[in-house]
Formats: sequence, C-alpha cells, structure tokens
Amino acid sequence: MLERPSLDDLIGIEHCKLGFYQELRQKLDELQDANQESEQRRQEISAILDGITDMMMVLSADMRIVSVNHVFREVMGVDDPVGLACYELFRNEDRPCPECPAHKSFQTGQVCRETAIFKVGGRNRQFEMVASPIQDEGKGEPRILIFKRDVTMEKEYQAKFYQAEKMATIGMLAAGVAHEINNPLAAISGFAEGIMRRIPKLRQGETEPLEAVEDYLDTILRECERCQDIVHSLLTFSRPVSSGFSPLSLNDIVADTLKLLNSHLKNKDRRFTLHTELAYDLPLIYGDEPQLKQVLLNLLTNAMDALENEDGRSTEDNLITIRTYADGQEGAGLVVSDSGCGIPTENLDKLFEPFFTTKPVGKGVGIGLSTCYGIVKEHCGEILVFSEQGKGSRFIVRLPANPEANCE
Amino acid sequence: MKVTKFAVPEIIFGRGALVHVAHCARGLGANRVLLVSDPGLESSGWVDRVKDILYDDGLEWIYFGDVNSNPRDKQIHDGANLYLEAKADVIIAVGGGSPIDAAKGIAILAGNGGSIADYEGANRVDKPLPPMICLPTTAGSGSDISQFCIVTDVPRQLKMSIISRSLVPNISIIDPMILLTKSQELIIASAVDALAHAVESYVSRIASPFTELQALRAIDLIMHNMEAAVQEKSIDALEQLSIASTAAGMSFSNAGLGAGHALAHSLGGMFDVLHGLVHPILLPAVMRFNSPACTEKMGTIGAMILGRTEGSAAYNAQAGIEKLQEFFSGLGVPVRLRDILPDRELLPKLAKAAVGDACNVTNPRPADVESLLGICEEAW
Repeated sequence: MLERPSLDDLIGIEHCKLGFYQELRQKLDELQDANQESEQRRQEISAILDGITDMMMVLSADMRIVSVNHVFREVMGVDDPVGLACYELFRNEDRPCPECPAHKSFQTGQVCRETAIFKVGGRNRQFEMVASPIQDEGKGEPRILIFKRDVTMEKEYQAKFYQAEKMATIGMLAAGVAHEINNPLAAISGFAEGIMRRIPKLRQGETEPLEAVEDYLDTILRECERCQDIVHSLLTFSRPVSSGFSPLSLNDIVADTLKLLNSHLKNKDRRFTLHTELAYDLPLIYGDEPQLKQVLLNLLTNAMDALENEDGRSTEDNLITIRTYADGQEGAGLVVSDSGCGIPTENLDKLFEPFFTTKPVGKGVGIGLSTCYGIVKEHCGEILVFSEQGKGSRFIVRLPANPEANCE
Repeated sequence: MKVTKFAVPEIIFGRGALVHVAHCARGLGANRVLLVSDPGLESSGWVDRVKDILYDDGLEWIYFGDVNSNPRDKQIHDGANLYLEAKADVIIAVGGGSPIDAAKGIAILAGNGGSIADYEGANRVDKPLPPMICLPTTAGSGSDISQFCIVTDVPRQLKMSIISRSLVPNISIIDPMILLTKSQELIIASAVDALAHAVESYVSRIASPFTELQALRAIDLIMHNMEAAVQEKSIDALEQLSIASTAAGMSFSNAGLGAGHALAHSLGGMFDVLHGLVHPILLPAVMRFNSPACTEKMGTIGAMILGRTEGSAAYNAQAGIEKLQEFFSGLGVPVRLRDILPDRELLPKLAKAAVGDACNVTNPRPADVESLLGICEEAW
C-alpha cells in the first residue's frame, strides 16, 4: 500500500525542480574523457603509422589518393598528393594501369599483391605492392589501402646471389666438364691426325682412303657436336640474366643436368648407382630453366655427398634415383632420393634455412637448399623432404603448370 | 513560523500572450515539440492557432490529442511513447486541467521511464523532465502553475495524485482571450474549481503568508467577477477570473488542498464526472466540517463572501458558507450529491477511497473515513 505523504513531503523544502545541468556536466565530462582517450588512441595509431617504413596510400574507387603516410611524401617528393590520381603520379598515364592490384582488389574485395617497376627520382625501382580493401562497417565509399615496399635492393642482391651460387656450382663442375670436353677433343685430334696421314694418298688421287676420311669426319663432327652440347648446357646454366619463365619439360631439365654431371657419373671411383625413371606423359611446367637445373644439381650434389660416407657398401647399394611424375594436369614433380645416411629429425626443420650445413668446412656453406627453396617458391611450387636416418632421404619438388593460379 | 517554500513557474499573462509560445519554446531549447491537447480544443481551433504560431517560427511539432477529461494511465503511456519515438524535446500543453495533467504525466515517463503509477505520491520523480510550457484554456485547474498531476488509474478506479516540484511547468502562458470561446458551464466549473483551490489551500495545514495572500485574492476576484464572466462573457471579468485561477494555483501548489479535493478525486476516479462540477456539491459541506479547526480563517473567508468586515469569526464562517451554498444554487449547477451519483450505497466506498488521497493530508481537521462519509451524507 502506498505510504501517505507527510506535510513535510508536500512542502518539499529539499526537493527542487530538477534540471539537466548536472546531467549535462556529467555528459560533458564523459565526452571530454572520451575525446581525450580517442585523441590518445589517434596519436598511438599515428605513431604506429609513422613507424611504417613502406609507402602507404589510401585510394578511393576512382583511383584518387585519399591519404598517404610521410614515407610516401619523402619517396615520391610530392608534398600534397591528396586528390591526385595514382596512375598520373606513378606512371604519367591518363587511365588506370591494367595490372594494378588496387583495381583488382576493388573488384574482388580480396587482398591483391603485385610487383611492379616505377621510375622514382629518375631511377627505376621495383616495388612489391599489397592492396587490401578497407573494411568499412555500413556506409562510406569503398577504399583500398596500398603498401608499396621498395624491393630494388633485395631483388638486385637476390640476382647476384643466385649468380654467385651458380658460378660456385660451375666451379665444382669445372673439372668434370673439362674432362668431358677433353675426351671428344682427344678423339677429334686423333681422327684429325688420321685424316692428316691420309692426305698424301689423297693428293696422289687415290680414292681408297676417302671412305675412312668420311668416317673420321663424321666422328669429328659428332664429337664437336658433343662438345658444343656440353658448352651449351654450361652456358645456359651460367647465363647471368634469367631468360624468364617459359614452358619446360622436367625431363629435359633432368637430361640436360645429367650432361653436366656426366664425368662425375662415369668416374671410375664413383661409389653409387644412378637410376632415372622419367615419366613420359609429363605436362609442361612453366619455369626458369637455369634455376630449375640449379635445384636439381643441388639436390644431386647433396645426394652424392650423403652416399660419400657410406663405406663398406657395394656401389649397387648406394642408389640415387631421379624420378619425374605427372601431377594430374596441374603440374609435374621431381623426386631425388638416395639411400644415404639420412637427415636427423632435429635437423629437418632447419634444412632450408640459409647457412645451415652439416658438411665439413670447404664442402659447402649451407645455402644450397635455401636457394632451392627460394627458387621453388618463386615458381609457386613446393619442396618437401622425407628422411629416415640410416635409410636415406627423399626430396620432392612439385611445380605447377600455371604458377599464377597457385600463387595467390 | 516554520520554514516554508513557494515555487511557481515563469508566468506570462495577458490578452494575446499566446503568440509568445514559439519564442518561449525556443528559449527552452525546442526543435521539435510535443503538442498535447484534446479533441474539444482541436474543434475550437485553438490547437491550430498554436500550430500556426509554431510553424511561423519554423518549429516542428508532433501532436498528441488522445486525452480524455480525467486523463487515463494508458493515454499517458501512449503520449510518452510518441514523445520518445518522435525524438521530441519541449512539451507544450494546450487545454484545461486534463491535457496539462496528461502532458505532465508524459513528461514524467519521458524523463524517468517506468509506469505512471510508480510515481504516485510525493517526491518520487528523481530525474529531470523535459521542459514544459502550459497554455491553460480554462480559468480554474491551476495545473499550469502547480506541482500536482492527477491521472486516472483505470484498473484501480481512482485518481492518482502525483506531486513533485519537477512538475511545476517551466513557463505558463495565460491568455484570457481564449476564455471567450468557452461555454458557460465550463466557465462555471473552472471558476468553482479555482474557488475550491483557494478555500482549501487557505485553510491548509501548511498554508504560508505567501499562499494565503494568493488564496484570499483569488476568492475575492472569483466572487466579484463570476457573474459578469458567466452572464456577459465580459473579457474584463474573464481576465479577472484568469488572475484568480492563477493566484489560487500559486496557493494550492505550495499549500496543498484538503478533504474536498480528496473526495473529488475519488469521485472522478469512480464516475468520470467533470471535476469542476463536484465542488459546488462538496465544498460547503467540507467547509462546515473544517470550520471548528480553523474558525478564524473560515471567518475571514465568510466575511469576504459576505462582503463585510464586522461580526465574529464563527458567525461569519457559518453565514459565509450558507451564502456560498446559495450562490452555487443560483448558478444552475447540481448542488446535491444525489444529483450526480446513482446510488447512496456507494458513499462508503467513496469515503474509503478518499481517505488515502494526498490532498487529505493537509486538511485542517483530520478526516478519517467516517468523517468523510459524514461530509458525503451531508452533501447527499
């Protein structure tokens, strides 16, 4: 039951008409606090953004620059790029570039990556670009955030590094290759002498030696061809500038690489048997020929090293197998296995790290497999290793027929 | 003297004062006002007049017109929902006691939430209300001045009294010109209500010199101007009634009322009778009951009604009450309870409902159920 009000209640000395002043003051305090907090957060975020060393820009749907970070201003040397179209600024074009990742990102709503070369400050510089759509809850125009990282130096170093690695391999192969060329040269020289001996008879009009001369010349030409072949493989392998990606057969790669190793394989002291199983119906893969040869060479070198220590086993037990196989229509695989010492489990994780090696000083510095890993990655493929200590190791390189589709 | 308190809204008074409504609303921060009135005022054109003034000032308004005579709890809730949904700010009430009380109820719910019954009693409103402007269209209810809000609780069949200083409107704009369009009956009912406010608050247990002055002034003005106002609709007389009603409002808002209003509220809750028409029936009986407890004051009232200065207080009191009864009879309105109630058997229920009313607290002579029943019997 409701309590009856008292007389004092009705006079209500202590009860006033309530106003909003207090509430307002409270709200103002809250707003001030909230404002301070968001200002602090803004400064934090701004400090983080300033700490980013990549060029950053936000684009609107018409490819106009909405905002940039200080790195952008410094690198591009433009004070106020806001409002400019990015294709004008970077390419001096009057329409968006077709390969632009921002464009793709707008269309797909996905994060898109691309590498491109822009002329900045009079120099061509290579940039890795990542375009990501800015998630905007509810309203607002779509925006794209783009990071551009200058990878010119890295790319230059990488190219030099690959070349150095290749030259090192060539150095290693040099003796064998020289030997390989020496044999045909000896034959050529021998047969040339043989021809020389028959020249007097020929001068006298005898036709009888002609048959032998033809036969010798045939042999000389064949031997020359062999030399050219070897020199050609060496040249394609050591070519400093990559000829770029082209459709390749893994089987050709294997065959070509084995040519370079021929002398090693025919060495009387060799203590292993090489076995090749090449698949016939191999789809072409898309790749860089010298680089892939490099991978195979490295894997083979490792396999041979793994067998080196296996004393007291017959040559037949020391087996290296090179196998190629078709991975459906998607790509092809290359398997190099050996029956060597195997890799201790604790080393498996570190295998592809640069400068990790278990080989004695002078036998390697530990960049072979990390190079392989880098190359296979660039081909959008993968490299897998299975190994059992004492039984051997198996390296599998899987390469896609269409790297574009695999990489994204 | 005990510490007392006297609170009134800003009052803008005068013929044509209505035009200031938009300016006042702006002053209180209005962008979109909730306009509360009732169908009667819509048809008389006053609601449109106010809308026009708001429109001319570029103010948006949302109209709520579902208000009965004796506004009901559900109507209050509907109005509050409208206020909140429409994101209105200032509330403007145009009308007699009903729309103004409805507006106050809406303001309570808009500012405090909950159900209107939660606020029954004194000082239960603890959050600020939206700013309120009242445009009284009758000279009587005093709701445009007071801290009272009376709402019918339909399920419980009673009128809840809600009392809070926050219910004192911010501004009351009183334009006597509006009274010109009112019916005789309404002018009488309003004036008698104002008279009852003045009489009951004058003898209230918490009357103060500030309220007494206003109460006596109101009684004097009503007694002298009622006839001219009712018979001739003289604008001068109507204006005086407006002043009287405002003065009575200032008095009862701060001093409270008495048993007469306690009974009137329970009557209104049970039978939905026009509040103003209850007083000609009840007021003389209530005065008679209270006279022994406040003979001096009742004598002062009597002398004022009689228009003389000599005589003892007790005599003047009695004679004054008789004169008042006579005066009411001359108005051609019901003066006996039997004229408006169907059944005498209902009287105990009526008395029982009235005894708990907040107005009964300030009655000069403590009135229990029996006393209240006695008053009803006398008025039957």
